[in-house]
Amino acid sequence: MPSYKLTYFNGRGTAEIVRLVFAAAGTEYEDVRLEQDQWPELKPNTPMGQLPILEMDGTMLCQSNSIARYIAKLAGLAGKTPLDQARVDMVMDGMVDMGNKFAYEIYYEKDEDKKAEKKKDYVEKYVPQFFSSLNKLASDGGYFAGDELTLADIAFYNMVTMVNPYLEQPLSLDGFPNLEKVVDNVTSNPGIAKWLKERPETPY
Amino acid sequence: MSSYKLTYFNGRGRGEPARLLFAAGGIQYEDHRVEFAEWQALKPKTQLGYLPMLEVDGTTTISETLAIARFVAKLAGMVGKTPLDEARADMVVDVVKALFDKIVTLHFEKDETKKVGLQKELFEKTMPTSLGNLEKLASAEGYFVGNSLTWADVYFYHVTDMITANYPDLLKDYVNLNKVVGNVKSNPGIAKWLKERPETPF
Repeated sequence: MPSYKLTYFNGRGTAEIVRLVFAAAGTEYEDVRLEQDQWPELKPNTPMGQLPILEMDGTMLCQSNSIARYIAKLAGLAGKTPLDQARVDMVMDGMVDMGNKFAYEIYYEKDEDKKAEKKKDYVEKYVPQFFSSLNKLASDGGYFAGDELTLADIAFYNMVTMVNPYLEQPLSLDGFPNLEKVVDNVTSNPGIAKWLKERPETPY
Repeated sequence: MSSYKLTYFNGRGRGEPARLLFAAGGIQYEDHRVEFAEWQALKPKTQLGYLPMLEVDGTTTISETLAIARFVAKLAGMVGKTPLDEARADMVVDVVKALFDKIVTLHFEKDETKKVGLQKELFEKTMPTSLGNLEKLASAEGYFVGNSLTWADVYFYHVTDMITANYPDLLKDYVNLNKVVGNVKSNPGIAKWLKERPETPF
């Protein structure tokens, strides 16, 4: 059994999807959280100068989604057939789109008026439209691929909970019953439920 | 034998990674190109409201550029030979995509002041840093993973090909990265496709 060491800052951020997958998979790992002043020394020794990184057996991986997919694959949580795996990938990519749009138009927007306008657009137009498509992709049992929990379900839950703190109100899943089931399936997974209770409380 | 139908606009853009990989794998597929005029009518009928889309056996649809590309790469045996190699390929693709996203953002930015700032940051910081890191990840033989062509090499070629149209000196100083491009272009299936594919403005 290789030993896994995940390194990130002391927050959920882009590492949390990996932590959620480790939890669902029941795989042991070392959850290293760096203080900001420890980062400059490590940075040049990472593949792309970014966190999170995963170290195991003398090798280093970066890019949160690639790491998450790797751990999910080993635990059988990445989809059982090539087509199911593509479905999982598709939802993950959609989550990246959703996150990037949020980051660029809202999080990094310095003009307060523009920011408020973009937030309104995001919450009232973009998300409902996107959730409508996603609701059709999810089964009525609440799974994006096959009939069991996969990385896609975890990615959806993670993205929604990542943007919610920055909005006036949490994103609504009203009218999207399949998506509500997806979130239920994720939060009631035993490994994830345990992690959600035990994980450190952090501002991000 | 499965049937594959790729739907995208009449251009390389986000459809080309899948086309290059179908070519590399010698896999037959229908290369359906939609004119912009047809798009408004088609859009509400699509899975996520955008293209490309891949239909498999007329029954299942996959969207998202990278999900499609990874799937086709799997069919072509070009994702990497072990889970770890697959993860390495994913990692490279993620970085290249992030670069591509920044280029696209720059391209569509309407605010002139913001645009100048983005361009400066992209070409003075982000690009050299990412390309420097990618140069270290690529082997001296010109492969990002192992010692044979994977979709990481193909996707890198595709994105830099799109960028060098406007910035021809992009890869000037990068020995390994130039080798990667060479390996992709000389893959027999891809070489044939590069000769035969429609000429399009994007």
